[in-house]
Amino acid sequence: MAALLETQDLKKHYKMGDTVVRALDGVSISVAEGQFVALLGPSGSGKSTLLNLIAGLDRPTFGMLRIDGNDLGAMSQDDLTRHRRRNVGIIFQSFNLVSTMTALENVTLAMMFDDLPKAEREQRGTELLESMGLAGRQRHRPKELSGGEQQRVAISRALANKPRLLLADEPTGNLDSRTSREIMDVLKGLNEREGKAVILVTHDANLASQYAHRTITLMDGMVQSESPS
Amino acid sequence: MIVGDIIGLSLRNLRQAKLRTALTTLGVSIGIASLAGMVSLGVGLQDQVVGRFLQSGVFDAITVVSPSLLGAPGAFLAGRGGLRGRGGLRGNSQSPSPKLDDAALKQISAIENVREVYPNIRVPAELRFGEFSRTTMAGGVTMSSKGEGPFQTLSYGQFFPSESDRACILSLDIARQIAAQDPGGLIGKNLTLSYAARTSDGEVDPTTGFQVRRVDLECRLVGIVERDVAPLAIGGGPALSVIIPEGLAKSIDAEVVTNAQSLLRDVSEPKTYGSLTVKVKHAQFTQDVEDRLRGLGYTVFSVNDALRGAKNAFIILDVFLSLIGSIALAVSSLGIVNTMVMSILERTREIGIMKAIGASDNDIRRIFLIEASVIGVLGGLVGIALGWVVGRVINFGANVYIRSQGGTAGTLFSLPLWLIGSAIAFSIVVSLVAGSYPASRAARLDPIQALRHD
Repeated sequence: MAALLETQDLKKHYKMGDTVVRALDGVSISVAEGQFVALLGPSGSGKSTLLNLIAGLDRPTFGMLRIDGNDLGAMSQDDLTRHRRRNVGIIFQSFNLVSTMTALENVTLAMMFDDLPKAEREQRGTELLESMGLAGRQRHRPKELSGGEQQRVAISRALANKPRLLLADEPTGNLDSRTSREIMDVLKGLNEREGKAVILVTHDANLASQYAHRTITLMDGMVQSESPS
Repeated sequence: MIVGDIIGLSLRNLRQAKLRTALTTLGVSIGIASLAGMVSLGVGLQDQVVGRFLQSGVFDAITVVSPSLLGAPGAFLAGRGGLRGRGGLRGNSQSPSPKLDDAALKQISAIENVREVYPNIRVPAELRFGEFSRTTMAGGVTMSSKGEGPFQTLSYGQFFPSESDRACILSLDIARQIAAQDPGGLIGKNLTLSYAARTSDGEVDPTTGFQVRRVDLECRLVGIVERDVAPLAIGGGPALSVIIPEGLAKSIDAEVVTNAQSLLRDVSEPKTYGSLTVKVKHAQFTQDVEDRLRGLGYTVFSVNDALRGAKNAFIILDVFLSLIGSIALAVSSLGIVNTMVMSILERTREIGIMKAIGASDNDIRRIFLIEASVIGVLGGLVGIALGWVVGRVINFGANVYIRSQGGTAGTLFSLPLWLIGSAIAFSIVVSLVAGSYPASRAARLDPIQALRHD
């Protein structure tokens, strides 16, 4: 399968006062189209940093990071914005919904940045929410929704601009085990039925082995192990 | 991002913080109101003063002074209008100036843009009506003065029906001295103007020993003007309390004896005048005609220079008033900065989310700039309304005071369309400038940091 994502000797260094923090220190991985990959590792291992780089929220210090053959490190600010808008859909641990907006508005917001006309936005938003089992919840604000429901709104939003890659940063970290399973099943379904590649950041090895095709374990900013290798 | 969506987002953000938006807008309104109020006060005052000047009919008038009075327009104004010098004899000019005689009248009236030229005739006379008697100066005015300057509105009666009519107009002041209770009742009554005239046949008056006789001229009172006719308005001389038609004035002037010099005057010599009034077709030609007259050797002056000075003074006043008004606007623009910075702090996470799901820096900047300009538009509109109301109130109060002081009420505050338009435009510009720093700060937010913010 063609590589959707490819990194080569990817480094991200931060300056913290006088010391240089090597959050990522030479990571070379590749994710194929339609693959479900889990990024494992203890906190501070660099998995969130890697996810942020892939999401285009941050720029690498060194190395190559290619999506569809395009190097993110060499992209202009505008191209990077377009990458965030179209190539990837991000799902956060803390949902990160706009609290003053309804579920539907949160979903359509992403399409608004992509210049979609209002009618189309609302139709697609409604369909996405319905497919997530949130029919009738469109007008609710995040406060009026349960954690699982909020995360499903967030997943709908991540899918809004039809990305091929979903980035999930501890998506079940704030949920109980039953809801966690529901959310993971949703991601699994999207991977299997719609062929979305998923990169799941988690520290739960069970969850990783249960849902992912591959598991990559990071330690101190470097790949410690990959299974299957 | 589509413009409509940006505006939609901005408006919902503003609605989200209604109180803060309202207070900031109010702040801008007060700033705009004070600025617009100050400028409109300046404009209003200028309209008042310049308008009154223009009404007085002095700006299209040039006074040509007799060479004998040369270099002494001040003295002339101070009230030696009755003096008729003999051209050039006592003049202190270096070059001989043309005499102000009928030939000069003809010459001047031929100048381009000159509407009319007439001599300023002042004759000393005794005004009598019943028991009332007063030595006064009667002045002639032409029919063209009808509706101009002091004759714009008459307190009672009307202007002369014709140039040679045996009629007169009195100032309200002197009319009250004759009939304090009902000056208007004097209209249509005959007054007597008495003056000394040379005898036509060289006959010597038995009582005085001069060739002088007394003339009692009956003239009908046709109108009463509110104020004494100001010197400048009809070409110099002391304030006139008795006004007669120019034709009548000329015929009196031909025979009146004012002093020994005039008594000794050779009748065959062409008659000269103390001063002439030149009326130009439009105030804008005043300077040009004035320069031409100087070129011909006449001694002239107009209040054009004074007007220019007054206009400059008003420009300075306007600038000064706008500066005061701007202080409030500057303070309120800081209010905008504060509101926007607060709003960014509050919405940092939201900005992070928007960036993470694909908003560009420009999208974010525009959202905040639109928010600022909406505050600007609203603030401008409310500010104009506020300024108008306050201006009205002050206007009303000031006019009550002016009336109580015996003045004529007028519009102190004037709010022309250009001021409304530019105040709103200015409000938007100020808001955009104030909003640009917070907006670019929001646009530059690091999404990762912003998402961690709570």
